[in-house]
Amino acid sequence: MAVFTVIDHTEFGASAEYWEETGISGSYDHLYLVASLRSDRATNYDTLALQLNGETGTDYEYTRLYADGSSSNAVKAAGVTGAAYIHCYDITGATNTADTFANFTCWIPHYSNTANYKQVYGKTARSTASTVQYYWNEALTAGLMSADTAAITEMRLDPTTGPNFVQYSTVTLYGITGA
Amino acid sequence: MAVIEAIATTYLEADATSVTFSSIPTTYEHLQIRVSSRNTFAYKQGNPTLEFNGTAGTAYSTHSMSGLGSTADADSSVTGAANTRLPHMTTGNGISGTAGGVDSADFASAVIDILDYRNANKNTTVTAVSAAALTTAGPFVSMGSGLFDDTTVITSIKLDSNGSWMRGSVFTLYGLNSS
Repeated sequence: MAVFTVIDHTEFGASAEYWEETGISGSYDHLYLVASLRSDRATNYDTLALQLNGETGTDYEYTRLYADGSSSNAVKAAGVTGAAYIHCYDITGATNTADTFANFTCWIPHYSNTANYKQVYGKTARSTASTVQYYWNEALTAGLMSADTAAITEMRLDPTTGPNFVQYSTVTLYGITGA
Repeated sequence: MAVIEAIATTYLEADATSVTFSSIPTTYEHLQIRVSSRNTFAYKQGNPTLEFNGTAGTAYSTHSMSGLGSTADADSSVTGAANTRLPHMTTGNGISGTAGGVDSADFASAVIDILDYRNANKNTTVTAVSAAALTTAGPFVSMGSGLFDDTTVITSIKLDSNGSWMRGSVFTLYGLNSS
């Protein structure tokens, strides 16, 4: 049996408000998502939001290690509880370097078990050719969905202001199988 | 067809100034390079560079954050460069400018993601995570990101060492399919 299986691959042929995958099979051991994203928000960045199983209440927690150049030579940490989504830090916005998309990858280990809250480990990079320091950021994010311990069957990504992901943004969701 | 495939592996039987993957097929969605390496740079951490399609010029940018021993540090953004620098991607071969002092068996590990490398509608962006725990003082963990401000499809990748890659370093290029 293959270790990696493509569950979904989406390349937006036009602007789209969000990416969503529903009905995710519980037949894998882990989920791995790879995304190349840009928002049409009229500034240099937008906030990337991840929601699971359609939960929109204050059921998410996250913490991150990050740098964004906004203060010289600083690596910072931030944590939030009771959020409406996992803030996977920031992706590229409309006024940033043209044709440039942010990279986002995340793992959801043991996503189909029903005994534990689900953890997300994410990695985000927004690169730029601009000399303005805060036009870039990098982040390692730990996220938690604590509404319940149900298996993950739905994932959704949103640019929180956008309103849209731009054309050519891509999202690939893989299922990872163990032995 | 497997979802993730090894395209090429280079194992260095002798020191080499650079490693190049050329004629990369455009049949994958994403690329990933996994590295175990050490270079001749006379410090504990080396700072290799990436160059795409043999293009130098001024189209590259670099950003990074690192933990060096007990010190956190974010590099200032570098733009208009001739390559993307990946700070602290490899173990070096010396201390404070003098060769020697780092155990010869200490090699660093790195994973480099290059998303949507064949998409001619977007620039090429890179995310790298690297780390080495050393038998001497000065371990490091680093996240780097880079931009190649060019929408050309990527067909070759050159990893240039600041100094030489040392014997025993190994580089594997993987392709990730999306269907």
